[in-house]
Amino acid sequence: MSEMISVLKLDGTVDEEKIKAIPEDLIHKMYRLMVFTRQWNAKALSLQRQGRMGTLASVRGQEASNIGMGLALEPTDWFCPSFRETGAQIARGTSPKDLYLYFAGDSRGLRPPEGSRDLPICITVGSHLAHAAGIAWGAKIRGEKIAVLSSSGDGSTSQGDFHESLNFAGVFKLPVVFAIQNNHWAISVPFEKQTATKTISEKACAYGFDGVRVDGNDVFAVYLTIKDRLNIARSEFKPALVELVTYRMDDHTTADDASRYRTEEMLAPWREKDPIDRLRKYLTAKFGWDEKKETAFLEEISAEVEQTVRDFEAEPHPKPTDIFEHLYHDMPWHLKEQREEVARHQGEAAR
Amino acid sequence: MREVFRLPDVGEGIAEAEIVEYLVNVGDIVKADQNVVRVETDKAVVELPSPFSGVVVEIPHKPGDTVRVGDPLLVVETEAAVRPAVPRREERARPPEEEKARPLPALKPLKPEEKPPETPPAAAAERVLATPHTRRLARELGIDIATVTGSGRGGRVTDEDVREAAVRKAPPPPRAPTAAAVVPPATAGFDFEKYGPTKRVLLKGVRKRTAEVMARAWSTIPHVTHFDEADVTELLQVVERERGLAEERKVKLTVLSFLIKAAAEALRRFPQFNASLDETTGELVYKEYFNVGFATDTEAGLMVPVIRDVDKKSILQIAGELQDLSRRARDRSIELDEMRGGTFTISNVGALGGRWATPIIVHPEVAILCSLRARKQPVVRNDEIVIRTIMPLAVSFDHRVLDGADAARFMSYIVALLEDPMRMLVEVA
Repeated sequence: MSEMISVLKLDGTVDEEKIKAIPEDLIHKMYRLMVFTRQWNAKALSLQRQGRMGTLASVRGQEASNIGMGLALEPTDWFCPSFRETGAQIARGTSPKDLYLYFAGDSRGLRPPEGSRDLPICITVGSHLAHAAGIAWGAKIRGEKIAVLSSSGDGSTSQGDFHESLNFAGVFKLPVVFAIQNNHWAISVPFEKQTATKTISEKACAYGFDGVRVDGNDVFAVYLTIKDRLNIARSEFKPALVELVTYRMDDHTTADDASRYRTEEMLAPWREKDPIDRLRKYLTAKFGWDEKKETAFLEEISAEVEQTVRDFEAEPHPKPTDIFEHLYHDMPWHLKEQREEVARHQGEAAR
Repeated sequence: MREVFRLPDVGEGIAEAEIVEYLVNVGDIVKADQNVVRVETDKAVVELPSPFSGVVVEIPHKPGDTVRVGDPLLVVETEAAVRPAVPRREERARPPEEEKARPLPALKPLKPEEKPPETPPAAAAERVLATPHTRRLARELGIDIATVTGSGRGGRVTDEDVREAAVRKAPPPPRAPTAAAVVPPATAGFDFEKYGPTKRVLLKGVRKRTAEVMARAWSTIPHVTHFDEADVTELLQVVERERGLAEERKVKLTVLSFLIKAAAEALRRFPQFNASLDETTGELVYKEYFNVGFATDTEAGLMVPVIRDVDKKSILQIAGELQDLSRRARDRSIELDEMRGGTFTISNVGALGGRWATPIIVHPEVAILCSLRARKQPVVRNDEIVIRTIMPLAVSFDHRVLDGADAARFMSYIVALLEDPMRMLVEVA
């Protein structure tokens, strides 16, 4: 079993050798993105409870894994997220407003920005690992010097798609990295019941490539490991399995109640490992970050999030008839009829 | 200006929620995103934050009320300065003026030989709102759904509306077993106000369910109740003696746990009491498992948690489960599954007093045992009057499958076990 890669310790001290690879402005960017993600997320949960947002999977507690992954990718790389990668998506350049739109039920929020190499959010557990392997295969055939990163949860490792994708990547030596955010819960299934192996990273040996285990609440370790593995994938066509050990601090989604299966005692040790507190301790010791800067910073981020909410809510609603678009190039007759009926009904309602 | 916070769908397809508590009072200042009310849905207890900043001017509900999605939860007087700059999405959802003025899309031209539709296009567009399930229910009950007035959101026709329409339409039907769901209102035409003012409270939740279940049991099962009494003097001494041992294991030992064990043994000996009548095939179904439900009085109403496999458990184990299940029934953390799968039921009204009771069987079980308060009374033993503690018992049975003699034997065996705790030790598996 591989040991856990770590750079930033709980007390905010770091591995001085490893940290040299990360420039100061990037460290500030990481902190900013992590705090923004947390506030964006908290606001989304509040909006959901007010009826202004749909079902949402909270990313709280997993900000280091998210931001570390998002920043480790090159713009030419591909990223295949599932639904608890909102922070990574934001770090990659997806607009936080679009993510609000999407979770409020407006599929236009899923449209990738121009030139983006991110797949849309994949809700189906684990199916996008095959997409990642496929994109990597395509890139290899075309001779592109890129890598592909997929991210999914511990639950996805029990899916058939996980085996198929990793096996395929191993056999065809594809430039792909499979990141698993092991947040210890697949809805209400605890990690102990997910797999009989002690770790997820050790599963890699069955596919003939490396598996590594990283402290997923340590943004530096996540960033450096993923970046390193993407480099190896890109230049040597060696896939990798990276286990990011983290913890889901909220319910599975807004339609779940974790208190039915998870106790406060289980959560407590992970509060101590909070990824943002840890990075703030480092900033304080290293760069003289203080209470005053923090307060002003939090206000700034909060204003940014509020503005995002205003922008998102100012978007005109999609029309009910939009539901008929985008599926067929030539709409079949029965859908046309249904669309007319909806339009007629809408016309009635408007009068 | 006044803003109304309405109950959103906080889960996936929640229709209603129960107010647990308000976290603010009328007159309080609230900020946007501040939690203002706790509600319980089918799925979870959640705290809901206010979308507005301002002063709470109205709280239209109280804890315990059931609120439907879209109903007001809270009214806030917002100050202009703190009002959200953006109109609510629902408001913007209405099409702008020019869209409203747009003519309706033309219908397909009719072929000359076709009869023009009887209803103009506008009426077609007024097609009633109802789910496919409700539409099917209407078809099955022979109701034209277009004639039903919807009570749901936006005039939506609900299952209840259809059933009510069916009841209004139907002539008093002959009583059929399947009619339980559509019982004609026997109280129709009563003027309750005639002799004085009244107040109306809708039956809901556990109360409503109890009403349905009891009406069904009472109207389908021919009940007979057999009474007896047990001298529990010695049993109480045993309970007293072993109480400390139980407490060491954090369990409260009660007479009820002995009664459940005794009943389990009786069910084993008289398996026709641990059975159900399959009304479709006319077969008696003997169950080879012994799951005893016990009626529990809770704030929400009567609940019947079930202890599984009582024949395989010690009295102490049963006492522990009794304690745990009744606590969770009372605080409503009990799972629905823990109140299913019973094969026999015991109703213990002991603590509340009374001497006799005729319990109603929990359909589709065939018998129910009721125990009442044990009290000291003079009894005759060896031709002398002595003071003993006597517990009255009643067993109601389904006379379709059991007879008075069966009940007498069943009850006598239970009484024998209760009167001689040592016999339980020697005889009970």
